[in-house]
Amino acid sequence: MSPTTAMYVAQAIHGLAYGMLLFLVASGLTMIFGMMGILNLAHASFFMLSGYFCYTVITVTGNFWLALLIAPVAAGICGLLVERFLLRKVHAQGHLAELLLTVGIMLVILEAVKVGWGTESMMIKMPNGLDGLISVANMTYPIYRLFVIGLSLVVLGIMALILYKTRLGMIVRAAVSDADMVSALGINTPLVFMLVFGFGTWLAGVAGVVAAPLLTVFPGMADQIGMDAFVVVVVGGFGSLIGAFFVALFLGELNAYGIQFIPRLAPVLMFAFMAIVLAFKPMGFFGERE
Amino acid sequence: MRNNLSRWIYWVVGLVILAIYPQVVGIYYTNVFVGFAIFGLYAVTLNLLLGYMGVLSFGHAMFFGAGAYSTALALTHIQGFPLLPALLVGGLAGAMLALILCPLLVRVSGTAFAMLTLAFGQLIFVIALKYREVTGGEDGVGGYPIPSFNIPGVVSIDMTDQINFYYFAVTVIIVCLWLLWFYTKTPFGSLVVGVRDNAMRIDYLGFKLPQTKAVNLIVSGCFAGIAGAIYALFQNLVSTLGVLDIGTSFAPILMAYIGGLGSFFGPIVGSAILHLLEDVTFRITEQIELVNGLVFILVVLFAPMGIVGLLRQAKAKWFHKEKVS
Amino acid sequence: MNILETEGLYHDFSGLLVLFDVNLEVKEGERHAIIGPNGAGKTTLFNVITGTYSPSRGRVTFKGKEVTGWKPHNLTRVGMGRSFQITSTFSRLTTFQNIRMGILSKRRIRFNLFRKVDKMQNITEETDDVLKRINLDGERDLPASMLSYGKHRSLEISMALATDPDLVMLDEPTAGMSRDETHHAVELIRRLTEGKTVVIIEHDMDVVFSLADRITVLHLGHILASGPPGEIRESQAVKDAYLGETEV
Repeated sequence: MSPTTAMYVAQAIHGLAYGMLLFLVASGLTMIFGMMGILNLAHASFFMLSGYFCYTVITVTGNFWLALLIAPVAAGICGLLVERFLLRKVHAQGHLAELLLTVGIMLVILEAVKVGWGTESMMIKMPNGLDGLISVANMTYPIYRLFVIGLSLVVLGIMALILYKTRLGMIVRAAVSDADMVSALGINTPLVFMLVFGFGTWLAGVAGVVAAPLLTVFPGMADQIGMDAFVVVVVGGFGSLIGAFFVALFLGELNAYGIQFIPRLAPVLMFAFMAIVLAFKPMGFFGERE
Repeated sequence: MRNNLSRWIYWVVGLVILAIYPQVVGIYYTNVFVGFAIFGLYAVTLNLLLGYMGVLSFGHAMFFGAGAYSTALALTHIQGFPLLPALLVGGLAGAMLALILCPLLVRVSGTAFAMLTLAFGQLIFVIALKYREVTGGEDGVGGYPIPSFNIPGVVSIDMTDQINFYYFAVTVIIVCLWLLWFYTKTPFGSLVVGVRDNAMRIDYLGFKLPQTKAVNLIVSGCFAGIAGAIYALFQNLVSTLGVLDIGTSFAPILMAYIGGLGSFFGPIVGSAILHLLEDVTFRITEQIELVNGLVFILVVLFAPMGIVGLLRQAKAKWFHKEKVS
Repeated sequence: MNILETEGLYHDFSGLLVLFDVNLEVKEGERHAIIGPNGAGKTTLFNVITGTYSPSRGRVTFKGKEVTGWKPHNLTRVGMGRSFQITSTFSRLTTFQNIRMGILSKRRIRFNLFRKVDKMQNITEETDDVLKRINLDGERDLPASMLSYGKHRSLEISMALATDPDLVMLDEPTAGMSRDETHHAVELIRRLTEGKTVVIIEHDMDVVFSLADRITVLHLGHILASGPPGEIRESQAVKDAYLGETEV
């Protein structure tokens, strides 16, 4: 493989890794939106929160794998509590109130993190065995990014299993496409809402832990992925998981090649893309309703 | 007649208080007041969209920032640029930006509108951050000359004097607020409220929906730009993080919501509350955003109609009681 | 002379044909009822005529001018008014403000930014006048959402008439009303539409036969019959498709 081709391939894998992470964050966001109609602006905050939990677990136990297990669950529990004690209370007031409430939650989490852990960037060491490079066909590549892709695929598989093989998953899919139907079937919707919210924040939490060694842990670590996740949800269509998947991968690549060729404009590309899509398809590519 | 008289008395008392305020409280609180007034105007322009037309602008900072940057850049690059044109440039920039965006913005409402404004807001923020040759990036543009208020042969007032600037800013803001208040009372203003309640019916009654929305957007953008321009003159420093970031977009939403979306003056009350709160908080802790976030949550949970809504409720209750007894 | 004509009108929703070669003729000054079973396409026909959708095929002619695919506001401006089956008022505005919106449109006051609307004496007087005529002057300052169902429906109908249209299209004006309310609504319609052309979708056969000069029967997206009430009552095809079911 020539060096140029190698570079292109490396960029493509970079983009894939980021796209998968993006999907983990965006899938929770789009599920929550599709089901509850809430655009959760605090979603990425759970990504960051999980990064901090990961840091703490590693500091205490020194074990990355334990952190990968515990931190997302802790973030998910925070999500459950937020849904149960805050969002549910304003559900009747309509979407604006919910949206603003999530803004408040976002600010509180951000500042609480600064109080609890400070504003410094904190390094997370990659686990042994994943911190090296791998050489294939004349090209070297960091193993950790391949791990990111692999782990995301595993989580994706778990998600697909839950959604398509369990009763809860079927209810969730039905609820995402038609919330009224679920309550008509006599299913305890508040409970389902809470579980979906918790599951969505758990997904963001997994992404947070996985991304922590790459990004380091700091209060702004979720800024980019949070914004990009919104773009994914909006462009992919509110409440569409398939839409979110394709758009996340596309944006991952757009980002990777954008940084390669037009570094200054790369961050702009995302929003320009979103603005164009929204202007012509206000419901997004796969969206059916507002 | 009596009503008219009491209204005059309110006006006179209000203006007298505003006039003697800086003499009483000193420089620090004079500046706090100017900051409050700028954001009061800015929050009112947001409420023109949120409360009156029923769409949430999640990137309102772009209009504020466009105004602030235009004024700052005009003052930096054009020698002897006068004061009032500096304000107009800001307003014009806000209006132009709204004009450019409105072909896209008038097509959507609800969540899509919020997301589209968020996207454009971030787009402009990132562009401004990257093109530091023009905008100075994170450092911003600063230290430009602040022109004097000049009527040739009559008067020339130094605007770098903070007390003078207070009078100037407050006058401009009161005029702007009066214009906007009047605007909401015109037949067109009633149309905008109609769009909020039932856009389809507006169309069926013979009004052009996109044009109606566009005009309101432009008016909102223009006055947000003027607020930004006053900010640029006040701070003598405009940076992307100060005027274009997402916090600058959230602030007026919070103010409007705290004050109450249903009333014209609600957002101003909200701005006052937040500025007072910030001042008090600052003495205790540096975590201003934390307090803001908590206020956000508490208001949404317990005072969905905002402070003005609470007051109205209390008033209704009070008067009701009086009647009964 | 025909004030409204449709020629070979078709409409489909992503392939599902809802209107099929509809040729409707409405004469100036008549009260024309459109009846038909649920799902016959009556409201879709209204939506295509009044500009909610463009037809897939065919022409709509209003006052001798082709208006196919025109937007609602343009149709309103040339004299077409419409009310909705599902009440569609400005819910947070008062009854007065609701009607005033129509009066402003009629007076072509749209982008006026130089006067307070409350200070426009003639507009206020005219609006109050309308409120008196529709017996809603007692609810003048009540938000529309607080009105009783019957009064809310009256407001809905009156808003369609506030712009002073030559042709008004009423989509089930008596939907959901009690006997008594229906009676009042019919009186109101009769009184307010004096000298105007009316096209009305209606399920209540008593209302149809007491109000209409001419009846068109729509069935499965197609016109089954069109004629004066007596003729429709006798038509075997209509009986089979529709009237038989309701046993009139």
